[in-house]
Amino acid sequence: MNNGSVISLEHVTRSFGDRLILKSVSLNVNKGEIFGLLGPSGAGKTTIINILTGQLSCGGSAEIFGVSCGKIGGEVYRRTGAVLDNCGLYERLTCADNLRLYARIHGVAFSRIKEALALVGLDGCEGKKVKALSKGMKQRLALARAILHKPELLFLDEPTSGLDPATAAEIHSLMNDLRRDGTTVFLTTHNMDEAYRMCDRIALLSDGTIVECGEPGELCRRHCSTSELRIVAVDGEKLSIANTPENAEAVAGLIRGGRLQSIHSSEPDLGTVFLRLTGKELDK
Amino acid sequence: MKTFTAVFIKQVKDSLRNLPSLMVILIYPAVAWIMITAMGSQEDMSGFFVPVFAAMHCSFAPIMISSSILSEEKEKGTLRSLMMAGVSMVNYLISISVFVVLAAMLTGSLFLMMDHSTSSYAVTFTLAMLAGEVLSTLAGLCIGIYSKNVAAANGMAVPVGLVLALLPMLARFNDGIAKAAEYTYSGQISHLLEGGDVTAKAICVMAAYFAALWAVLIFLFKRSSME
Repeated sequence: MNNGSVISLEHVTRSFGDRLILKSVSLNVNKGEIFGLLGPSGAGKTTIINILTGQLSCGGSAEIFGVSCGKIGGEVYRRTGAVLDNCGLYERLTCADNLRLYARIHGVAFSRIKEALALVGLDGCEGKKVKALSKGMKQRLALARAILHKPELLFLDEPTSGLDPATAAEIHSLMNDLRRDGTTVFLTTHNMDEAYRMCDRIALLSDGTIVECGEPGELCRRHCSTSELRIVAVDGEKLSIANTPENAEAVAGLIRGGRLQSIHSSEPDLGTVFLRLTGKELDK
Repeated sequence: MKTFTAVFIKQVKDSLRNLPSLMVILIYPAVAWIMITAMGSQEDMSGFFVPVFAAMHCSFAPIMISSSILSEEKEKGTLRSLMMAGVSMVNYLISISVFVVLAAMLTGSLFLMMDHSTSSYAVTFTLAMLAGEVLSTLAGLCIGIYSKNVAAANGMAVPVGLVLALLPMLARFNDGIAKAAEYTYSGQISHLLEGGDVTAKAICVMAAYFAALWAVLIFLFKRSSME
């Protein structure tokens, strides 16, 4: 395990029956960074979170705070928090009762419940039953539960999936606040914009293998040296040409001939990087 | 201890807001009371109804409640959240079991208020109910661990619970069923609740069920931990 690494995976493998889900995954997550695991649905992102949180066994070496994930105990769990794909909230209980349960488990004062709810924008919802909350509010409550005990490491499994843009923006804002406070965030997502804007580093996961890892901007520069122009002609024809000086005359010709209906520059993004490396769309 | 307390308190609050659970745990004392009250003016039927419904209560209610609590936690992802907060499965199962047995004992004690027997019978009654509730809770936990969701758990718990609950009553009307009921723990519990002696056979049957249910629970627990 590297110095400063909070999470370390080396040649991690995992099968379900005959299906090999993780082939040989190696990565490190440093203290205080937001690390994004980006990949399409079914790539193995949630499986990695389950391994890291001690819910699944695996081949290879998986460590969290220097402790093997197969031997995680109460001490490590007290240093971590998680928001999973399924909120895992007690629908019949109130928001405060849900948080009181975890406050008791972690030995946190009940006064912290109000603070945590305020942090996620749910102030005044203490007495509301969870089943009366919207999906976005439930996700924020799950986030409040995860940060209740001020964990050093936070796992966020698709935290904004299916949420409206305003709620997603609030969750992003909270993630930035957590980073400022020194919390390490391990984020899984298939949303390339989210990964690009939020993460210090990302790993691209495809078919159980890490195909690339690094800073989002650096990855885009490395794999997409040129941008493209996407042109739609008046007759509906769609053209995609490289944004280079050599193509300037061709574009000018379209304009002069009155054939141009729309023109957009296509900046290199993580979706393009993923497509180039795997031949697959990221959002699928 | 703090995880035990946390899960136990959560379960008390959750169950008080869960109408189907409340109905399951109150239905047999309520029906017994209604029957005894309805017959009250003609003759004292408490000696008949109390053992019958008490045997049903301690056989059926803990199976239904413990299996539905566990399977619902699995289905909704709340159990996974608890595990990821450091609650061990063993701690969780102990908290839930204690809650189910206490809740069933509390509502089961209503039967004693309907009966007008001696205090020595009350002791035998309480111990027999306790034994039945512990065994039924173990059976319910086995079903809950095995099932992936509430529907699957109910699909198993209802027939198992009904067979165990109804067998002692049906045994009163059919000798063949009576013979079979002797080899079920609910049959033996019913025998004790009716004021029967504590026989070696009763102890052996209940001990065998206890050992078998523990073995199944440990097997299913290990299997689920390896997934």
